Amino acid sequence: MPNTPVMDGLIRKTVESHLPWSVHVDLTYRCNERCIHCYLDHQDHGEMKTAEIKNVLEQLARSGTLFLTLSGGEIFLRADLFELLEFARSLHFDISLKTNALLIDAERAKKLRDLSVRKIQISIYSAEPEVHDAITKVRGSLERTLNAIRFLQAEGLNVKIACPLMKQNLMAYRNVQALAAELGVPYVLDMTITPKMDGDMSLLQLRSSTKELLPILQDPSLNPKTCSPDGTQAAAAPTGSATSSGIESRAFEDIPCSAGHNSCYISPYGDVFPCVQMPVATGNLRQQKFEDIWFRSAEMNRVRAVRESQLPVCSKCSIRQYCERCPGLAQMEGGDLLGAYERACDLAELNARIAGLVDPVSAMHAQKSGSQDLCSIPTTHVATEVQIGRI
Amino acid sequence: MSETVTRNPKLAWREIDGETVIISPEDSHVHELNETASLVWKHAEGQTLDQLAQRISAEYEVSRETARADLEELLTALGEKQLVFVAPDSKD
Repeated sequence: MPNTPVMDGLIRKTVESHLPWSVHVDLTYRCNERCIHCYLDHQDHGEMKTAEIKNVLEQLARSGTLFLTLSGGEIFLRADLFELLEFARSLHFDISLKTNALLIDAERAKKLRDLSVRKIQISIYSAEPEVHDAITKVRGSLERTLNAIRFLQAEGLNVKIACPLMKQNLMAYRNVQALAAELGVPYVLDMTITPKMDGDMSLLQLRSSTKELLPILQDPSLNPKTCSPDGTQAAAAPTGSATSSGIESRAFEDIPCSAGHNSCYISPYGDVFPCVQMPVATGNLRQQKFEDIWFRSAEMNRVRAVRESQLPVCSKCSIRQYCERCPGLAQMEGGDLLGAYERACDLAELNARIAGLVDPVSAMHAQKSGSQDLCSIPTTHVATEVQIGRI
Repeated sequence: MSETVTRNPKLAWREIDGETVIISPEDSHVHELNETASLVWKHAEGQTLDQLAQRISAEYEVSRETARADLEELLTALGEKQLVFVAPDSKD
């Protein structure tokens, strides 16, 4: 959604009243691609039936949820997808979908338009079939996905490309940019590769190193903190998280993100989490009512109580403004919802260096190196006119 | 002849603290309705202008004429934004 003063006001209101305004529901973990970076277990361990999901949707509507994101796995593998969409429409949700689009044809695109789906986010890893298909492990998948995008566009639907970046496709962001421009659709580059949901860390080896990310973060077409060679300010950065709730706002102030405040995640098995990237189990909708979990779960309230100014290490960090710490990843990677974690610190240091700081050191790294004092000493900032290319 | 009001069925909406937030799927535009407009929105579907005017008149203790005039002004504004449609009642 556009980040406007009206939206900021609404987000503030929903955060203050703990209204579950935006909910992400994974309808299935089954998938017809086998993306090498995927964090899911694709076996069906008993996903919610049609009636169960309808019941969940009714509860969400009663609780005040407006933004509903349906994702997976691949949602079009659910035979009841359109029945669920029709039901969601009858409850007046704002509906967004996340899909690989392999199963979208002209007829299904028309149905999606008739159901007033507002946004469809589709993953594309490269404009080169050999790169994209090697990541999805499905030959011909790029061509099929692009055909689907054209079907959706022909119906006037809003498509957004999400491009997770990893070692295998790092520099493909340029051809994805060009592809998005050719198609006339927005895109987001996501550098987040997460551990598997069962805690398996093996996927992290697919991550590009911070050194490898440097040319991307310095690209003036992506990073508004940098300037193009002629000194003009670049457009807003289309980088971010393809899995986030999509409601970023200044209204969050001292809270880390929307998770547990006005958004949450529901798995195909009815488990409720503050966010898809935050493995803090708060309850199950097969045993409990949504409102009981949302308002009264001890775990949800623990997440809700976190304030950035009270984080034991990060609150003392002199380069916090360059950090995009995710509390869920702090839990998954560092084992502590309140803690610092290596990747965020590395990226914060990289971002700070790009912005012109000399030898920036995060609080966690300062502690590790024994230089406790560094935590409270502001890092030297060179003249702001220093350009990235000269560092 | 009376006229019947219908909400645009494509819209997404929720009431927050007595005010209504509406999202238009085509352009992602966010509309906010104040308390009075929200009351009309909440009860509008399938109602005639006379029925809605009667409800407003009762709720806000104003005359039917005043309620009807305010309602028509509001529905014109909502209609221009494609949030509601006002059509002759098919029963007439």
